[in-house]
Amino acid sequence: MNAVIEVSGLTKRFGDVVAVDDATFRVEENQISGLLGRNGAGKTTMMQLLTGQDFRTSGEVRVFGENPVENSRVLSNVCFVKESQRYPEDFRPTHVFRSAAWFFPHWDAAFAERLIADFRLPLNRRIKKLSRGQVSAIGVIVGLASHAPLTFFDEPYLGLDAVARQTFYDRLLEDYAENPRTVVLSTHLIDEVSNLLEHVLVIDEGKIIVDSSAEELRGSATTVAGSRSAVDAFIGAREVLHRDDLGGLASVTVGRLSPAERLAAGQAGLELAPVSLQQLIVRMTTSDETQSERRRIA
Amino acid sequence: MTTITLSESASTTHRPAANRILAVFRLHFVNPYTVVIIPWLIMLFIFLVNYAIWWLIDANVQDAADRSDAQQGLGWSGASFYIFVYLMVVAIQAINFTFPFAQGYGVTRRDFYLGTSLAFVALAAGYAVALTVLSYIEEATGGWGLGGQMFTAVYFGTGEWYTRLATFFLILAFFFFVGAAIAAVYVRWRTNGMLIFFGLLTVLLVGLAALATFTQSWPAVGEWLVENGANGVILWSLVPTVLAAVTGYFVLRRATPRD
Repeated sequence: MNAVIEVSGLTKRFGDVVAVDDATFRVEENQISGLLGRNGAGKTTMMQLLTGQDFRTSGEVRVFGENPVENSRVLSNVCFVKESQRYPEDFRPTHVFRSAAWFFPHWDAAFAERLIADFRLPLNRRIKKLSRGQVSAIGVIVGLASHAPLTFFDEPYLGLDAVARQTFYDRLLEDYAENPRTVVLSTHLIDEVSNLLEHVLVIDEGKIIVDSSAEELRGSATTVAGSRSAVDAFIGAREVLHRDDLGGLASVTVGRLSPAERLAAGQAGLELAPVSLQQLIVRMTTSDETQSERRRIA
Repeated sequence: MTTITLSESASTTHRPAANRILAVFRLHFVNPYTVVIIPWLIMLFIFLVNYAIWWLIDANVQDAADRSDAQQGLGWSGASFYIFVYLMVVAIQAINFTFPFAQGYGVTRRDFYLGTSLAFVALAAGYAVALTVLSYIEEATGGWGLGGQMFTAVYFGTGEWYTRLATFFLILAFFFFVGAAIAAVYVRWRTNGMLIFFGLLTVLLVGLAALATFTQSWPAVGEWLVENGANGVILWSLVPTVLAAVTGYFVLRRATPRD
């Protein structure tokens, strides 16, 4: 396994706020990784630190084995597409794509043309006059057609409709199969991308709380439902991620179950259901928040 | 588990610095609207307003002596000053809008500033050539037929062609790089930076004025200006121009693109 990104003990403070808190992780070469978390969890700050756009407070960042800050050897292989990307005043999409070719050595103009048609993007309208979704499409097209060895997409599709988002996923996968590269994608739409991701990083309040392969994560939690007494008997002292009670019924999310345990649950008349990546992350990040709220109150 | 480095990775490439700096240079010109078309439209507008004033004078002042008096006054035209100041605004916009964009393209701050500076030098040179040509047209047409003066003011646009060209270039370079320094302060510290920057600048200028007053050196300042003449003073503007350019570089090196 080859790491393109290696981060250890990375911390970024803005005054009293700790945006990234002692993060340690790796991103493997030619994988699509998801950087997931709530608004304000530190996703954008993390990506800015990885692309040399922001300066760390402490810790280490290595991208292609080097510090990315002001490092043109590293950065000329990086493309960073932000949802909130600002474009120069009076630019039209055509100016963006024409100039992109000068900055990305692997720029694929034919692919860009095709994506422009896919997203039905008007090339000669001022960016200021475009809809939110059309502005997002510009960033998505740059990110895909750049063919940069390391591409970051930060919430790339604000305002894109379901069809356009599906186009993005399809083109990303097709192109990724032909031109393997490392992609880091941050998004709220976890269910939509869960099949795309090979690796998942979850960040919450600046801390990396999950660093795992998507495959492993998908089977890592199960919902057990049935009568409250049977459920309670089954879960015993297990760690409960989430619990819903309704009358005499209970539905509880627990960690990974062995085949023997699954069999036992079936015999006890309990229903087992897989937990989607999104539900899992929602549960993990909500409970963390309530914990820290409790800490704050205490 | 190993870490992949640039030399091991098959897909990574490294382009020479000159290419990256040139790409930033070209980025400023990919949409000529902001840096070329709008400034010329503004220049045309200022010219037309001046032309109307010249025409008013020409049509209403009948006495030959009075007319020559008025036309002499036109030699102190400040009309071109608007163009210089507007080009400073262009410089500020160019950095403020293009910096966060170029950062997304993986451009380092260093390459961005060098490419931008190159673009500013080119723009200053281009505008200087155009203004020099216009100053000759102004002379050849007897002040556009009305004795008007806009491109041949007392302080520039006179003398040999190379003096005119150099004067225009140095004035424009001054405004472009002061603009670059202001933009760098804004990009790095936003509104607070602007307030402190202009606050300090005001204190500095008032302080210098106070110094000159208390040491009774205003006559010396006047002498210095006379001694150096317009051309000498403009040549000395290279000092603040270079200072502004270097300051802009070091301020921008630690700036972070914000939304």
